[in-house]
Amino acid sequence: MVFIRTIIAIFLLVFTALLALPAGAQEDDSALRQAISGLGAEKGYSKLRQAIDVVVETGDPRGARVLDALAEGDVYRREGDGAVFIVSGRGKERNLIDPVTSEQVGTIAKSELKKVRVNNSVRRTVRDAIGALTLGAKDPDIRLSAVRTMIDNPDPDSLDVIATALEREGDDDVRTALEQARAAAILLSDAAVPDKVAAIETIREMGGQEALSLLVRARNAAGAEMRDATEAAIASVQKRLQYWSLGQNVWYGLSLGSVLLLAAIGLAITFGVMGVINMAHGEMVMLGAYTTFMVQEIMRTSFPGMLDWSLPIALPLAFLVAGSVGFAMERGVIRLLYGRPLETLLATWGISLILQQTVRTIFGPTNREVSNPSYMSGAFQLGELSITWNRLWIVVFALVVFAVLLYAMNRTSLGLKMRAVTQNRRMAAAMGIRTPWVDALTFALGSGIAGIAGVALSQIDNVSPNLGQGYIIDSFMVVVFGGVGNLWGTLIGAFSLGIANKFLEPFAGAVLGKILVLVFIILFIQKRPRGLFALKGRAVEA
Amino acid sequence: MNDMAMIEERPLAAKAPQHAALTEREVQESRRKETILYLDGVSVSFDGFRAINNLSFLLGKGEMRAIIGPNGAGKTTMMDIVTGKTRPDEGEVFFNGTVDLTKHDEPAIATMGIGRKFQKPTVFEGHTVEDNLALALAGSRSILAAIFHRRDAEEEARIAEILDTIRLTHLRDASAANLSHGQKQWLEIGMLLAQDPKVLLVDEPVAGMTDAETEETARLLRDIARDHSVVVVEHDMGFVRDLGVKVTCLHEGSVLSEGSIDNVSSDPKVVEVYLGR
Amino acid sequence: MIVGHLLRRGLNRWIVLSLAVILAIGIAVPALNLLLPVTHPLHVPTYIVALFGKYLCYALLALSLDLVWGYVGILSLGHGAFFALGGYAMGMYLMRQIGPRGVYGDPVLPDFMVFLNWQELPWFWYGFDRFWFAALMVMVVPGLLAFIFGWFAFRSRVTGVYLSIITQAMTYALMLAFFRNNMGFGGNNGLTDFKDILGYSVQAGETRAALFFASAAALALGVLFVSALGASRYGKLMIAVRDAEARTRFIGYRPEYVKLFAFVAAAVMAGIAGALYVPQVGIINPGEFAPANSIEIVVWTAVGGRGTIIGPIIGAILVNAGKSWLTGFAPEFWLFALGGLFVAVTLFLPKGIVGTAIDGWDGLRRMRDGKRRERGEDAPLTGPQPEAAE
Repeated sequence: MVFIRTIIAIFLLVFTALLALPAGAQEDDSALRQAISGLGAEKGYSKLRQAIDVVVETGDPRGARVLDALAEGDVYRREGDGAVFIVSGRGKERNLIDPVTSEQVGTIAKSELKKVRVNNSVRRTVRDAIGALTLGAKDPDIRLSAVRTMIDNPDPDSLDVIATALEREGDDDVRTALEQARAAAILLSDAAVPDKVAAIETIREMGGQEALSLLVRARNAAGAEMRDATEAAIASVQKRLQYWSLGQNVWYGLSLGSVLLLAAIGLAITFGVMGVINMAHGEMVMLGAYTTFMVQEIMRTSFPGMLDWSLPIALPLAFLVAGSVGFAMERGVIRLLYGRPLETLLATWGISLILQQTVRTIFGPTNREVSNPSYMSGAFQLGELSITWNRLWIVVFALVVFAVLLYAMNRTSLGLKMRAVTQNRRMAAAMGIRTPWVDALTFALGSGIAGIAGVALSQIDNVSPNLGQGYIIDSFMVVVFGGVGNLWGTLIGAFSLGIANKFLEPFAGAVLGKILVLVFIILFIQKRPRGLFALKGRAVEA
Repeated sequence: MNDMAMIEERPLAAKAPQHAALTEREVQESRRKETILYLDGVSVSFDGFRAINNLSFLLGKGEMRAIIGPNGAGKTTMMDIVTGKTRPDEGEVFFNGTVDLTKHDEPAIATMGIGRKFQKPTVFEGHTVEDNLALALAGSRSILAAIFHRRDAEEEARIAEILDTIRLTHLRDASAANLSHGQKQWLEIGMLLAQDPKVLLVDEPVAGMTDAETEETARLLRDIARDHSVVVVEHDMGFVRDLGVKVTCLHEGSVLSEGSIDNVSSDPKVVEVYLGR
Repeated sequence: MIVGHLLRRGLNRWIVLSLAVILAIGIAVPALNLLLPVTHPLHVPTYIVALFGKYLCYALLALSLDLVWGYVGILSLGHGAFFALGGYAMGMYLMRQIGPRGVYGDPVLPDFMVFLNWQELPWFWYGFDRFWFAALMVMVVPGLLAFIFGWFAFRSRVTGVYLSIITQAMTYALMLAFFRNNMGFGGNNGLTDFKDILGYSVQAGETRAALFFASAAALALGVLFVSALGASRYGKLMIAVRDAEARTRFIGYRPEYVKLFAFVAAAVMAGIAGALYVPQVGIINPGEFAPANSIEIVVWTAVGGRGTIIGPIIGAILVNAGKSWLTGFAPEFWLFALGGLFVAVTLFLPKGIVGTAIDGWDGLRRMRDGKRRERGEDAPLTGPQPEAAE
């Protein structure tokens, strides 16, 4: 957890620093002021456009703000002296905002203001101008996003601006983007064929959806001599996009697989290791999710500043809550039914109904809101992949839980005892292992893990009394498919079912994909009744 | 018997050896024809553990054979192979000299005439003794036949006869669940008889029996052996001696020693691994 | 004089009795509803007829589950799927009978298809305008599904909880499938707004009475069928497979076929129950495929007593009457009660009401036999055997 916290801290630090940078700049602004005052000159739209160009020529990124306000219709001229301001507020008294420093400099009656009018052609100019201005920003990220806007809206007129920017650009990423922007603009200009072919090549290398739409636009505009090159580039980009979508499917599959793994891994212990069919397993997951909800509720009311810590706090609590319910179940009911698997199945189903109804009575039948802490929300881009943080953390978390469990089963004393009891109960008892105690602890462990799965699932699923129901069949499928009594089998089973599901979805749709997977498992179990990684030998049949 | 495998590996194109091989093979085949059970070069392993290792075993028609050997010697696995429960990794298994048993499953092998009694007595506890025997009686095994089955006098007579043989006539209508351990063993043997098999495989028939019961069982088996081939697996050396038949001692999945009980029990290898000094 | 015989003769008497009771109810309830004036103290209100008609269908369903679970030991957690398929087959017939009286007035297409802009009837709806075809499909569709599923499952020796789990997955998959609009079965809403059955209005009192009687008759036939099957050698074979499957295989039977026959027969029975259920409740929707429904059937059977014939019938009626009663005034308690019932039955009444009663009966007989034996009238039943060593 420390590791995760550190990463989050670093991430937050960088992010706030980004926001703080532009505000800190303080330099000579007389040239910019001069240029901005030109916007107030009352000479029609074409003159206004020229005035905008003057602002652009200052190369001062702060000019972008006033231009933005101009496009929004928030820029006014003061009747008295013709000075230009950004104006905010409604009613008779308006706030005057300095166009350069963005500070409020006073208020003024509405009647003393005259709006600087814009039309669509001016707005277009403004957009390009903002692009050009931000190209001069100090922060490379701002420059980069400005260039991206230009790539999305290529304009042959901006070629000069791009050329200037390229000359002084030092950042490699921005340079690349600028070249792409130039290529995009060239494609729409009346440049010579070799230039255009080179531009196509640049765009092709860029890849992605934007490249595709740029190329399609170019193809529609291009003459015969360009068609083949464009078509080839389009095909190439499409092919690469296909690979990305393959990657996207794999990622979605891994993400679903990690959810399945979390839901099933507790079951791999209770069913796989102990041979107990716990139909209330899904309800253990649900209890974990509701524990998270409770923790967040308490934090919201008592310690609002600590909301980000709710998940780390909920994890051990959920383990304890679900684990102790599991412990009670084992002692109270399951203990009496060993050796009668079908009866165990029915009794635990009964318990699942009782647990569901209890939660429904206490918390109500509707979904409860569990919020994502800051490090679980948002997404980032990896090539063409959009990866949400909560999904990424859940994949990591599932793998961590798996690793810890594997360690617990294979390297700890309790794990050794568990395996001893499952392999030969009487021998284990004869060696002084308290088998009933080990049974209860094993079951509590399996249930507790379902509980922490619930904490993770509360981040991506609706927290309602029916939460567990949705996972129980899938979890059993994973355990049975992977091979009972084998944690690795559960891992492979979860991820292969997750990926299979996501690969079927584009062809068959979500529901039919799920049905196909179920049908496949039903057939698979009949072919290999003991799952993918079955224990072989006569001990199994006995 | 191992040279048979060698023979088959020889290329058929080589003429001179082929001629020699044919006669040798003919010898083998004629020997096989005389057997009721014929296992040759059989091996099977579970997860790397070789339960049966190049086992060769012959049972003549009408013969009774006792098999002894320490735990894990492969006695039960051998029965699993013969009855089709386990497929051998390699080797030949023939019934009646001609039927390749590796190509059939349990019900098919059972209807051919190989009956098996399990180590742990398994009877149908939900049924009476009589019904247990009735279900085992030779006849059609199809579902429709079972649905429309009417019991006739011949079957009644056969059941009565078997009940008499296994000495359970007085318990005809008792639930099998209420039988004593020894009685269950006998009922299971009775069910074997009802099947009218050619070979009976009997796994530890006297485990958990009193001395009187053991003696009685030996007598019962000797009776049965008069018109059946029988393989008995047993640990109880006194019982094996009582049977008075040829003995095979298995060890680590292959035959360690074979012969009369006196020869086998004095074989130093057998003493070493099984009987103890 | 001997327990087994007495028990069987006793049970047979019980079966004749229960057949008589079922048929008497089948005639009396609708008669008291139709013939007596509403004010008469013995008049049976129409809603009771509908309710009891539903219970009779449930009883038949529970009996069919008992055939596979009680006799052959296959705990099917997807038995509701066969019930629902039978119900859908009947529902499709009833939909076709609506004809042009639907909201959209299309003479052929059911309303939901018009709503989805379908131009023509899907092929699998052909023939359902004829009753005989629908009636055949009520049996063929569940039977065929059971046959295919069972063929694969039983031949591969999938048993015990594995089988239970994949039967549950089966009904779950079917539920997901039937929820889809483009499956052509009305999606979420299922099939409803029925008008006629065999030319008579489904709302009419006489039709309801006839359906009620048909349900009772179907249940009686089911009881006859199961008891006849149970008494045959096949019935003994089912018990044998349940108790010692490997043994049946080693004496030459194929337990997979034993199971398959029972599974298919039970599926057909469940299909018939579903077909009788749908016109009485007036709707069939994919919710009937829910795994929870199937597992509820299991508890009816368990409460009554699996492996007996009247047990599941009593269980189905008792549990459902309890459900109707409890949901009437405290619906939130129903799931507590049902859950508690699962736990209590498995822990304290594993043989169910009827099974426990038979055991008690058996115990009484045994005590009497024991006394008689003490007087030297009969051979000992159990214990050490004096004749063993001659």
